[in-house]
Amino acid sequence: MSLPYTTNELMAVTAARLLRDKENVVVGLGLPQIAALLAQNTHAPNLTIIYEIGVINPEAEEMGVGVADPRLWYRAEHFTSFVGTLGSILQKGLVDVGFLGGLQVDKYGNINSTLIKTEKGIKHINGSGGAADMATWSKRLLIMMRHEKRKIVESVDYLTSVGYLRGYESRREEGLPMPEDVKIITNLCVFGFDEETRSLKLLSIHPGVKLEDVLQNTGVPLEISGEVKFTDEPTTEELELLRNKIDPQRMYI
Amino acid sequence: MESKVKSLREIVAEIPDEGAHIALGGFAITRNPVAFVFELIRQNKRDLTVSQIVAGLETDLLVGAGLVKKIQYSGGSLDRFGRLERINEAINKGLIDAREYSGTSMALRFLAGSMGIPFIPAKYLLGTDMLNALLEKKDDAIRVERSPFDGERYVYLRALQPDFAVIHAQYADEKGNVIIEGPYWDVETAKSAKKLFVTVEKVVSTEFIKRNPEKVVIPSLYVSAVAEVPFGAFPCSVYRFYDYDKDMLKEYAEASKDESKFKEFLQDYVLGTKDFEEFLEKVGGIRRLNKIKADPVYGY
Repeated sequence: MSLPYTTNELMAVTAARLLRDKENVVVGLGLPQIAALLAQNTHAPNLTIIYEIGVINPEAEEMGVGVADPRLWYRAEHFTSFVGTLGSILQKGLVDVGFLGGLQVDKYGNINSTLIKTEKGIKHINGSGGAADMATWSKRLLIMMRHEKRKIVESVDYLTSVGYLRGYESRREEGLPMPEDVKIITNLCVFGFDEETRSLKLLSIHPGVKLEDVLQNTGVPLEISGEVKFTDEPTTEELELLRNKIDPQRMYI
Repeated sequence: MESKVKSLREIVAEIPDEGAHIALGGFAITRNPVAFVFELIRQNKRDLTVSQIVAGLETDLLVGAGLVKKIQYSGGSLDRFGRLERINEAINKGLIDAREYSGTSMALRFLAGSMGIPFIPAKYLLGTDMLNALLEKKDDAIRVERSPFDGERYVYLRALQPDFAVIHAQYADEKGNVIIEGPYWDVETAKSAKKLFVTVEKVVSTEFIKRNPEKVVIPSLYVSAVAEVPFGAFPCSVYRFYDYDKDMLKEYAEASKDESKFKEFLQDYVLGTKDFEEFLEKVGGIRRLNKIKADPVYGY
């Protein structure tokens, strides 16, 4: 039996289990970073962690405020440039998993991290940074998002990072390499994508969450066929690592 | 031996009063050329075009001061301290011509500029609204073509050679050999420019450079001038020198949300001080700066 856990812990554990040993992952601050560290401390000791700013395999002792925080660079194995990380390692096809987040994601896994359209006009928020680039070349994409109706939508207000574009083979026709897999981990469930249409598909709901909650909070109609699976729960070992070693200050879990 | 060391005021005076194209080296809140931008604002350099991989506090200041007419970048932030509110507002109101890229497509444009080649082909931007917007604006830096070698679709990213690049680094000698500690995302940016200005925490002897040639990431031949500006990235961090100043970043993040508060910030700290030293004195001087000095083991 497992200890009680938080939703963020479950999300971190779910993401960590999708990483394999000897893979190369590009992560950002927060849950992606925690998921990668958890994988490194459990089943994937040879995972290589890359930050776009030019940092490889650091061992941070404190959580920072972003990739531009030297706290995240502590005990790195290599420093390089943006060209060295996303211009070379990524473009050469060496990144297995790219972690992404954003303001909105649509039914084909396209992400908006740039702006929101309102009645008063556009509201510019941020931009791509390296996110669009990771979506271009990572072999697998792991998207982590808060689950809200206005965030999981039919089509994004601005397409910053390409998932499956307009579904089916449209991404390939655009000239982009097809990813092997795209998943979205929210605080309610895990989504994947249909192998033919490339549209959003429910894979599992988190223990304690009702299917109704997922359907009500998703801005895209979902087809549910057969029994819905529950997301696997964290083990005691994983929870202890998260709490005692990876994020002892509990900044993100 | 000729020395390239000049005062910050002299360096900024070399930039024309109107219409210069400047690449900035900061990244969110680290190694930002803040002192340089303060001086650009004091000398009222107008109608600037700014190019940058990931924008940061210094870019937001410059846009907020109303001196930028065009920006090419991939977004940016103050990390968890906030957004680049002045840039966002200028975009929302249509006050600047914003050309949005992804981080790597900007980085590759600088790389091409640093290599002296006309363009670099890449898959980056394909399928995105950044590409759609650039094509709609008939941006002459972007073309979608098929490669003559594999027949596949690529974005041809035109090389970028800005008039000036400005970066803030840890060390340089008076010849202009630059040492950067930590990641060096801004090296291609620096090497792409027609003229490169470097502000540094400390000017070191050429003897020190000769004992550490492997630490020099930009050799002197790229560098036009060097200015020694201790704490020149404050309130942002410089790895192994000082941490970011949380309180000042919070103060900026708050002020930048509102135009009149931002104008007060600008008046108090930039226009109301004669140089960066006076600004640092005004916000607390050595007492404040001592609190953020880096631990030699951690580097922050």
